[in-house]
Amino acid sequence: MLFKTITKENLRTFITNIIKENQTFAPVVVSTDADNNPIYQFKKVDSFEEIKINYTKSYSSIKNFFLPYKEDLSTFHFNENGWEQKINYRVNPRVLFGVRACDINALIKLDQVLMKGSFPHPYYIARRKNTFIIGLDHEPMADCFCQSLDTNEVVHGFDIFLTDIGPKYFMLINSSKAFNLLKNITIEEVKEEDRENYIKEKNRLASLFKSHVDVTGMANLMDIEFESSVWQKWGDKCLSCGSCAMVCPTCYCYTVCEKINLSLKTASKEKMLYSCNLIDFAEVAGGHNFRPKSSDRLKYRYYHQHRGFVESFDESKCVGCNRCQKACPADINPVEVLRDLRKENIK
Amino acid sequence: MTYKIPVYDINNEHSLSQTPNFNNKNALMKTDMVYQCEITNIVELTESEKLFQLKIINPIEAKIFSFLPGQFVMVEVPGFGEIPVSISGSTSRRGSVALCIRKVGKVTGILHKLKKGTMLGIRGPFGTHFPMKQMKGSNILLIAGGLGIAPLRAPIYWINEHRSDFENVHILYGVKTPEQILFDFQFDSWRKIYNYDIHVIVENSDKSWQGKTGLITDLFKDISIDVKNTYAIVCGPPAMFKFVCDYLNKQGLAMNQMFISLERRMHCGMGKCCRCMVGSTFTCVDGPVMDFWTVMNLKEAI
Amino acid sequence: MEFSGIPLKKLRAAFFDFTSCEGCQLQILNHEKNLPDFLSLIEIVNFREISSDKRDDYEIAFIEGAVSRKDQIDRLKDIRKKAKLVVSLGTCACYGGVNAIKNNFSIESMVDEVYKENKPETIPVQKISEIISVDLEIPGCPVSKIELEYIILCLALGSVIEKKKYPVCIECKQNMNHCFIDKGSLCFGAITRAGCDSICVNGGLPCYGCRGPSASVNWMSLKNILIDKGITEEEILEKLSLFNSLNEVIKDEN
Ligand SMILES: Cc1cc2nc3c(=O)[nH]c(=O)nc-3n(C[C@H](O)[C@H](O)[C@H](O)COP(=O)(O)OP(=O)(O)OC[C@H]3O[C@@H](n4cnc5c(N)ncnc54)[C@H](O)[C@@H]3O)c2cc1C
Ligand code: SF4
Ligand code: SF4
Ligand code: SF4
Ligand code: SF4
Ligand code: SF4
Ligand code: FES
Repeated sequence: MLFKTITKENLRTFITNIIKENQTFAPVVVSTDADNNPIYQFKKVDSFEEIKINYTKSYSSIKNFFLPYKEDLSTFHFNENGWEQKINYRVNPRVLFGVRACDINALIKLDQVLMKGSFPHPYYIARRKNTFIIGLDHEPMADCFCQSLDTNEVVHGFDIFLTDIGPKYFMLINSSKAFNLLKNITIEEVKEEDRENYIKEKNRLASLFKSHVDVTGMANLMDIEFESSVWQKWGDKCLSCGSCAMVCPTCYCYTVCEKINLSLKTASKEKMLYSCNLIDFAEVAGGHNFRPKSSDRLKYRYYHQHRGFVESFDESKCVGCNRCQKACPADINPVEVLRDLRKENIK
Repeated sequence: MTYKIPVYDINNEHSLSQTPNFNNKNALMKTDMVYQCEITNIVELTESEKLFQLKIINPIEAKIFSFLPGQFVMVEVPGFGEIPVSISGSTSRRGSVALCIRKVGKVTGILHKLKKGTMLGIRGPFGTHFPMKQMKGSNILLIAGGLGIAPLRAPIYWINEHRSDFENVHILYGVKTPEQILFDFQFDSWRKIYNYDIHVIVENSDKSWQGKTGLITDLFKDISIDVKNTYAIVCGPPAMFKFVCDYLNKQGLAMNQMFISLERRMHCGMGKCCRCMVGSTFTCVDGPVMDFWTVMNLKEAI
Repeated sequence: MEFSGIPLKKLRAAFFDFTSCEGCQLQILNHEKNLPDFLSLIEIVNFREISSDKRDDYEIAFIEGAVSRKDQIDRLKDIRKKAKLVVSLGTCACYGGVNAIKNNFSIESMVDEVYKENKPETIPVQKISEIISVDLEIPGCPVSKIELEYIILCLALGSVIEKKKYPVCIECKQNMNHCFIDKGSLCFGAITRAGCDSICVNGGLPCYGCRGPSASVNWMSLKNILIDKGITEEEILEKLSLFNSLNEVIKDEN
């Protein structure tokens, strides 16, 4: 990794030029919530001015750039002799600008499942390797708890990462692709005062977190509290709507659905992101459902986050972005659920 | 000066252009590419079960495809869906895959409409297997409930082909009604040629049934087992295998000498879709075959 | 005809309209690009919208609209006798639809209000399954052509028809919408069966549940959520009854 600085003016030129030559996605305002706060999403932008550089967090996570909500795994082409299967992995390069640390850390978790280990997922890899990521530090919102999950800092998984240190950005350069692109513009060596400002800013950002949850020993607690009434309490509120998993930056599970084209000449095998909160997630033929109650399913979502994933990768799957609460019609807050499990809410 | 991000074309990766080998899990491959198969034979076993004999068409794929007893394949019916099915045949017949399929829903319903000569796809093999090599020199107890006999045929064929490696072999088989008995046409030859001790019991029967009536555990009265030198392979619904394994455990058979095959919803077979998770374990990768100790330590297993 | 080893049956179909806006029938003719393929899967023997030919040898009868007049009852019973398969097409046929609002008023006051003269003879609105047995329901106001195409294909191939079990929220999230409930407004997407691609929310309107309940409804929780947002129970119930499609969800409440 290289450390440099770039002036705000130069960054603007840099991004403007990137936008000109590449499909670029960045945060823009799409709506406002009940308290009149803006709601942001990553959308394709045509100029630097459209970008809300001081945005808070995007309503949906950026995962759908890597795991589209719907994606054809293959197509079948029927002919006299039977059929032929076709698979296409082609992805055009694109740039994501303004990605938060927690979201980059979420991608690293997805990399573990989909890129490393057994059966690497070519669809994901094609997208991941064709996406240029420029990250951006920010002040946490009141409900962000990524610090508790150790995901508020990034060390890899991006191309460039920027921290605002007054007149300029402190810049982490993490790929040769990034290094080559930056040759187009003036960047500066890190000076003594830049380092000081950077560390000061980092400490300031770290001190702003208001939402915390203790996740030590959570994996065992999940087993010990498997029959806990806490699950019933939150399960009663849950609508089993799956919104939480749709916006979650690390939920990756899916369903598969095949469709025959009306012409009877082709059929597609489509993957669609799913959620373990949905009623038929674990339902099998004949109608038997391994998780019939909404509390079983809600529990399982926490179980995968803090137990199943830990078993495979020694860390929680959750990055603490709290998107799931924002998207949840029932306002179910993961921090409260975990605190309940820890019996911290009992007075 | 250019600001264009270079293209990464994954199709140029060498391993991706090779025929996928699902036994080579860590390689980058076309994970969703099926092996095309022709249905070479269909045997109607009962009203709702058929035995499909498939032949992998491409000789390279036929050569790559090798499995161990207890593993399953994802069977693709283009346009309708893909389902997990245990391989119900011999491991030694390269390129040939036997599947015994019960008609229960969408994909299985279509499968039952298909005729000989139709083209299907398979991916696999996936999952864990019964540790046949570890069982060498022991007595084998094969216990099936209902359709559970289908996955048991793979270890049975294995034992047939390596008969001298094993001591006494007992097969205990329980079904609801006599009409549901599968593969009884093979029982006599298994008894005669391989000297198997086979017992069948039926839960509900009418007068026409000459054999035993009752639950599968009633069959234990008819056999004697040396718990120190016996492995059990149990396939059937959760209530059944729990009942059977608990019984055997009480008799002194160690929990890690009993193997069962779990069933869950599956959409990938590769630890990606999460549909098959039992607690923190992927049934498709860490299962379907597990020893009873492991199963009992899983949340949500039963 | 055969498709990849599976026998394909060209079905004789008839379309009948009862009390409705005929929007669903128009949907059938929608999706022009696919129309020839669609029409090659079925043989239409009776369809007022496209032809004056009328034959009675249909196997499938698609019924659009609800029942609101006495004479319609006999007509329905006659169709049931002739058809092997009766399909309710659209929210009106499946649930009564918007028409059913009139059931909230007495017939006389309603007729007096709407018609000054030539007062028609009318009865409370009933869904098709209240009069005859129905084999298949395809709700939607209007029905989704894509779903209809899928179902016709399944019928022709003799395949099981899979109904989506999840709610509209999933599609709403796929379309990257911001949730109405987070805006402090009412939406029934979380208890409504998906399949419309959350078309209303995409267009800036909440979901009023025209496709009927999803496979997992937690009405008590949703009601509490909406009341918490400051929406009155009266308004909630009024909106809930818009299509007459979600009535069953409040059954457990009492
Ligand atoms: C490891 C394993 C081995 C199996 N071996 C056999 C076998 O040898 N013979 C046999 O007849 N059946 C076997 N099954 C069960 C078989 O997979 C289901 O009966 C089949 O998936 C039902 O598909 P369907 O489309 O007809 O049913 P539907 O009810 O229409 O199911 C819709 C979809 O749900 C999924 N699904 C439903 N039930 C199951 C299930 N029980 N397991 C996994 N996925 C499911 C499938 O993706 C299916 O396409 C096995 C299952 C597993 C997990
Ligand atoms: S937590 Fe649930 S929704 Fe998220 S990836 Fe795991 S199974 Fe899917
Ligand atoms: S579970 Fe919630 S807080 Fe955790 S990563 Fe997912 S959306 Fe963010
Ligand atoms: S978003 Fe909320 S209500 Fe919906 S499934 Fe998730 S936890 Fe349940
Ligand atoms: S707007 Fe309606 S459909 Fe969309 S997520 Fe919210 S409740 Fe669900
Ligand atoms: S969003 Fe709701 S009301 Fe609108 S079409 Fe879909 S189900 Fe019907
Ligand atoms: S079948 Fe997809 S994870 Fe096991």
